[in-house]
Amino acid sequence: MTSLIDLYLGTLRISIIEQFQYRVANYFYMIGMIAEPVIYLVVWSTVARNQGGSVGGYTPGEFAAYYIVWTLVRNMNIVLTPYAWEFRIQRGRLSGELMRPVHPIHFDLAFFTGWKFVAIVLWLPIAAILTLAFQPTLNPTLEGVLGFAVALWGGFLVRFMLLWALGMLTFWTTRVSAIFELYFTAELLLSGRLAPLSLMPDWVQQLAGLLPFKWAFQYPIETLIGQLSTQEILFGLAMQAFWTLFGIALVSVTWRAAVRRFSAVGN
Amino acid sequence: MSLIRLAWVYFRIGAMNELQYRVNFFVQVFQSFLALGTGLVGLGLVFDHTHELGGWSRPELLAVMGVHILMGGLIRTTIQPNMERLMGDVQEGTLDYALTKPADSQVLVSVREVRIWQTVDLVMGLIVLLIALAQIQGIVGIGQALGFAVALLLGGLMIYCFWLMITTGAFWIIRMEHVLELFQGVYQAGRWPVGIYPGWLRTGLTFLVPVAFAVTVPAEAVTSRLTPETLLTAVALTAFLLTLARRVWRTGLRHYSGASA
Amino acid sequence: MSSTTSVIRIAGLRKSYVVPEREAGLKAAIRSLFRRKTREVKAVDDISFEVQAGEVVGFLGPNGAGKTTTLKMLSGLLYPTSGEVSVLGHVPSKREKSFLRQITLVMGNRNQLTWDLPAIDSFDLNRAIYRIPPDDYRRTRDEFIELLELKELMRKPVRNLSLGERMKMEIVGALLHQPKVLFLDEPTIGLDVTMQRRLRHFIAEYNRRTGATVLLTSHYMADVVALCKRVIVIHHGRILYDGDLSGLAGQFAAYKTIEVTLEDTSVDLQTYGEVIGKDAGKVTLRVPKAETSRVTARLLTDYADAVTDLTIEDPPIEDVIERVFAQAAPQEKVA
Repeated sequence: MTSLIDLYLGTLRISIIEQFQYRVANYFYMIGMIAEPVIYLVVWSTVARNQGGSVGGYTPGEFAAYYIVWTLVRNMNIVLTPYAWEFRIQRGRLSGELMRPVHPIHFDLAFFTGWKFVAIVLWLPIAAILTLAFQPTLNPTLEGVLGFAVALWGGFLVRFMLLWALGMLTFWTTRVSAIFELYFTAELLLSGRLAPLSLMPDWVQQLAGLLPFKWAFQYPIETLIGQLSTQEILFGLAMQAFWTLFGIALVSVTWRAAVRRFSAVGN
Repeated sequence: MSLIRLAWVYFRIGAMNELQYRVNFFVQVFQSFLALGTGLVGLGLVFDHTHELGGWSRPELLAVMGVHILMGGLIRTTIQPNMERLMGDVQEGTLDYALTKPADSQVLVSVREVRIWQTVDLVMGLIVLLIALAQIQGIVGIGQALGFAVALLLGGLMIYCFWLMITTGAFWIIRMEHVLELFQGVYQAGRWPVGIYPGWLRTGLTFLVPVAFAVTVPAEAVTSRLTPETLLTAVALTAFLLTLARRVWRTGLRHYSGASA
Repeated sequence: MSSTTSVIRIAGLRKSYVVPEREAGLKAAIRSLFRRKTREVKAVDDISFEVQAGEVVGFLGPNGAGKTTTLKMLSGLLYPTSGEVSVLGHVPSKREKSFLRQITLVMGNRNQLTWDLPAIDSFDLNRAIYRIPPDDYRRTRDEFIELLELKELMRKPVRNLSLGERMKMEIVGALLHQPKVLFLDEPTIGLDVTMQRRLRHFIAEYNRRTGATVLLTSHYMADVVALCKRVIVIHHGRILYDGDLSGLAGQFAAYKTIEVTLEDTSVDLQTYGEVIGKDAGKVTLRVPKAETSRVTARLLTDYADAVTDLTIEDPPIEDVIERVFAQAAPQEKVA
């Protein structure tokens, strides 16, 4: 167990140093990502003003808060792309990974965790500028802030596990892009990324409650912008825990099957 | 005119190249449909809560989406592949081949690449636009259609100039890939008429990255909103940008070839 | 030779770059924000030569000597810092279309053929760009395909060709418009020996048939020895030698090598000359040119019964070149 901790700390350190060196590239990437929420923000604020000041329970100021926190949660949501497996298999990296006496997910998890620390730091000035530009109304509660601190990482873990498992499909077919893109589209609509779920028809909201997407995305945002009761915050954390465990179970099952398949087909 | 001849020659070879990969066609169609679906959901969602946005009705916003998809397809078919290749050539030293050919270098680097399968978006955008126009009460006359075509052409040229000037920056600062990501993001703003954005953003989307002229203005043409002033501004701005882009290109080339400033 | 008939004329050509200079370490990095220390690098430092039509000239020099820079200035890719360049009566940096139609540039390891299509499609592209009349194009193309034995490979996508086959295709594509001047930058780099020979033969054939002028840079001596009568040696941006290949040894390596085969392998021949090789009874001696006959005579006298074989040779050209390049660089200016 201690060796695993060592591994994590070591990889974490390297990842942080590396990502900090690439801060310019990271900044460009993060700034490019801002366009999406800003557009949504402007559109929904316009709608809200049209409808007498609020829509779906959000005023323009609250939309601003939602979408600004959105940028941080979005960054935390960037995990190993399922497309990476195609790359790994083709480049023959996989054989090397399989030789190591450690499950490859640990390296990925440690690497991305380190990156997230850097992302959070780099995000702060961006958040400041966005706040100046869009004047959000933010009234967080203490439980909300604490909940947010945990939920932010919970969302990261949920998405990390699920996408890692999703990537395993690459071992069975090369035509994975259709499946991946469908997944991402469903996620876009059902996670609260396109718009807060309260704006969606009821049946969509019910569906979203059953799926993991909203717990990785909208729920962390909601904890911070102060709309949830303590009970709701705790329930959300429990849901995150559930989906994380679900993801871990999925990973162990699919990875074992994938390795068997890989060894049979070979590279 | 040698520009057209050259473009045709490269188009032929580019098409031949891509037609080998029929799979890419289906992948592209699928992705385009997904993107369209998402766009329609977004539009539908907005109109669940309101009747108009910034003075634009629902079918009119659909028309804007159509133009956005169409222009996006145009950019990804011709402008983007050429600029990406130019960036790659500068980094790998293969630009020299383009410079020793007996053709105008700016023309050559602007027409030699084409991604045929992106024309799916051209077609799709056009269909969406036509459906939107059918829903709008009012007849689209010849004048408007002409205005649309002209506005589209001018918008496309402005985007080309923008891309060329940014990519020429690669002569000085080699790593320009990230700019591509930035553009993708900014271009998304064109899905909605730029009038809805706060003043400073609107100005940026008009004069910094000419998204307004690429999408909103042509959409204004088909929805009978286009004023002669806007069209004239578009013409003037296009002429200015074309001249500027050429200047920047030549300066970049001189720098690349080590000419004393 | 009168300058009005030279195909290529260079006079007082110079190319310098200003390069930032920075030491390692954080303090130096911060200092460099305020005060930029620069260094002037003279890539080409006052060279002059003329080339007549039909000559095949080899540029020899180690990496960074200035060969590629010179070639780039000749093909119009780089502006000289000072000096005159004239190729086929044009100033290359002006990049006039009529000039570009008469030259070609081939860089080894850098492809211009479309990767996923058969070479013949790329050739067709070149036909359009260079405006080659269809009959001439077909004739030239078929002639080259025949010469390089490329018939079966024409329909294969370029990415499926081996490195050597690809290089052959590149050369064909580059010569379809029958250029009068060829600039070849390391054309045989990375190829196996047979392929190198094939390409050299083709270039020589092209030169013979069309009277085209060829400027070739290479660090393979074999390229130069096989193709070029005239050699220009460049080092640190300066011309060290311009003339016949055979004269190179005379100027830089005034020695000969004597190979003696003895029955008795324990004999020590150090007193006769510098022993540079001892291998299974064969001893190789390096001897100053003037001493050659005297040393040979002594050897034959002293070991009359023991010597079974003796050969006298000019120094291998590689050794000569090594000596040429070993010369120290002139001091660089620190600005």
